[in-house]
Amino acid sequence: MTLGALAGFAVTGSTGSLWLGILAAMIAGGLLGLVMAFMSATVKVDQVVAGLALNLFAIGLSFFLFRTIFAGTTSTDIPSVGVFEFPEIPLLSDIPWIGDIFFSQHWLTYLAILSIPLVWLFLNKTKYGLELRSVGHNPEACDMRGISVPNRQYVATIFGATMAGLAGGFLTLATTGLWFPELISGRGWIALAIVIFGNWRASWILWGALFFGFLDALQLSLQAVGVELPYQLLLALPFVLTIVALVINRSRSRTPLSLAVPYRRGER
Amino acid sequence: MTAPTIPPADAIPPPSSRTPKSRWDISNWRVEKRLSVGWVREGIFLVLAVVIALALSALLIVASGASVGEAYKALAEGAFGSRRSTLESFVQATPLIFTGLAAAIAFRARIWNIGGEGQFFAGAMGGWWVANAWGDSLPQLVILLISVLAAALAGAAWATIAGFLKAKFDTNEIITTVMLNFVILFILSYLLGGPWRSPDTFYFQTVRMPEASWLPKFIEESRLHWGFALALICAVVAYVLLWKTPLGFEIRGLGINQQAAKFKGISVAGTIVIVMALSGAVAGLAGMSEVAGLHHRLQLDISIGYGFTGIIIALIGRLHPLGVVIAAIFFGALVNGATFMQITTGTPSALIEVIQGLVLILVLIAAVVVRYRIRRVHADG
Repeated sequence: MTLGALAGFAVTGSTGSLWLGILAAMIAGGLLGLVMAFMSATVKVDQVVAGLALNLFAIGLSFFLFRTIFAGTTSTDIPSVGVFEFPEIPLLSDIPWIGDIFFSQHWLTYLAILSIPLVWLFLNKTKYGLELRSVGHNPEACDMRGISVPNRQYVATIFGATMAGLAGGFLTLATTGLWFPELISGRGWIALAIVIFGNWRASWILWGALFFGFLDALQLSLQAVGVELPYQLLLALPFVLTIVALVINRSRSRTPLSLAVPYRRGER
Repeated sequence: MTAPTIPPADAIPPPSSRTPKSRWDISNWRVEKRLSVGWVREGIFLVLAVVIALALSALLIVASGASVGEAYKALAEGAFGSRRSTLESFVQATPLIFTGLAAAIAFRARIWNIGGEGQFFAGAMGGWWVANAWGDSLPQLVILLISVLAAALAGAAWATIAGFLKAKFDTNEIITTVMLNFVILFILSYLLGGPWRSPDTFYFQTVRMPEASWLPKFIEESRLHWGFALALICAVVAYVLLWKTPLGFEIRGLGINQQAAKFKGISVAGTIVIVMALSGAVAGLAGMSEVAGLHHRLQLDISIGYGFTGIIIALIGRLHPLGVVIAAIFFGALVNGATFMQITTGTPSALIEVIQGLVLILVLIAAVVVRYRIRRVHADG
């Protein structure tokens, strides 16, 4: 995500096109996903460890590249790019109250919401989606049915990483217009929390994401109003709730059974 | 209907002449699993991984416009060029030895404690709190001992939350420890913004702790403090614990085969809690060592990801205390040398994070690859 944000930022900065920046963010994320898939599905390094390693590598690389590309900038002269304008959907955005909330968001926000039913359809209503989920539960059975396990793992990992890159691109190109190392501040981990919170169902991701976003916004406005409540409490809440959700959902958990277990043919 | 004609046996060319037998014919090569990996071979692969990582990073240096030779020379000079810089490398290595050991202990039991960062802060808070409360009224040795104890307890307590949840509810410890990392930072941020904030400053920091509770200098005229010695002692203790005690046997047994460990009568749940507590205690000491040895007050930036770097170090050190110490000193030297490199050659010091990440990635791949060998086999075999 951090790398995606930087790629988007740098490309937009040099080409002046926000959409090219978004594309670059996705490509950067996807490339990292390719490395991740290679490490976990081909070399079969422990996936947790591989993920952590790539995380550290990507954050270091982003920071290094930022310093290299924007060498000579000082803290008073921070490079920035213009951000996406809020689109105004004719007529609908003029509806009082509702128009502001529902029809004046970034195009990418609509895309994000649209992606939820799309992913749901893909995972639950297509043969490929079923195979993908099966690989997560029982790769051995899939292998016997002639489904290529590494193939599905590559596709899933690269898709996920591309989306994460897009998310990073959105942050820098639609909200801040800046890039700095702390830009992402753990949002990749929150995504993990949302998946657990939503118990692995695509439809629940929306509610989880909205809820976590709501807490973040509430915290900001409470600070602005000056309410006597430690804002850190609200910031910490998503993380505490994730742990609670993990404990509560344990009996109904839909966690893929073979999550993070490397699959080697003929070995159990 | 005609019967299919079967060609006479001698009409079929023998396999060897059908496929030209070449040294490079890939079908003649087999990837096999090695039965055992000698430590010499393992060592060669480790060195190779580091060399490749440095070579790949050299490409980045070229991209940044600096000279590779000069940059690496400055890196080495900044790390070990003089007595003073060598000692400073040890200063940088100190927290990493602790957090590396913390990760190694947990990973030996195949418990993924990613919470070293949070436990670091818990230990720092525990150590500072005790030092601040009694630093003026107790003799130096006593206050140091109890703040070490408090830090270990605080780190252990924070880690035990995840350990208990795993033992009792089988929750994934990776996620709980990561979440707890965030939670403790928000707790600290709250304390530093309110109850613990130093009255004479607008910054998020506490008052300086009484001088009696500082970790004394290990070597005068440097920043090297007794935390370094404490870290080395911890490494020895960790070695003895893991390989010379029944508990260590159980911990390693849990990591190798949980089923077998259960049949052997090892309490899996109990061991999980103990491992997490031990791991957290060591990570907590890292926090105390940094605060009492260097900063002397609590701030939000006392850790630059030491908990996470500790994970890399544990893995590069092959989860062995000696390996951890060596890897930590290597990384400490990188961090120390990077500052000098940035000043003299203008290569961004963030390069070392890339090197660290690359070293880990390549070491991980090497660790798998070293277990296999490629052998040429005869076509008929």
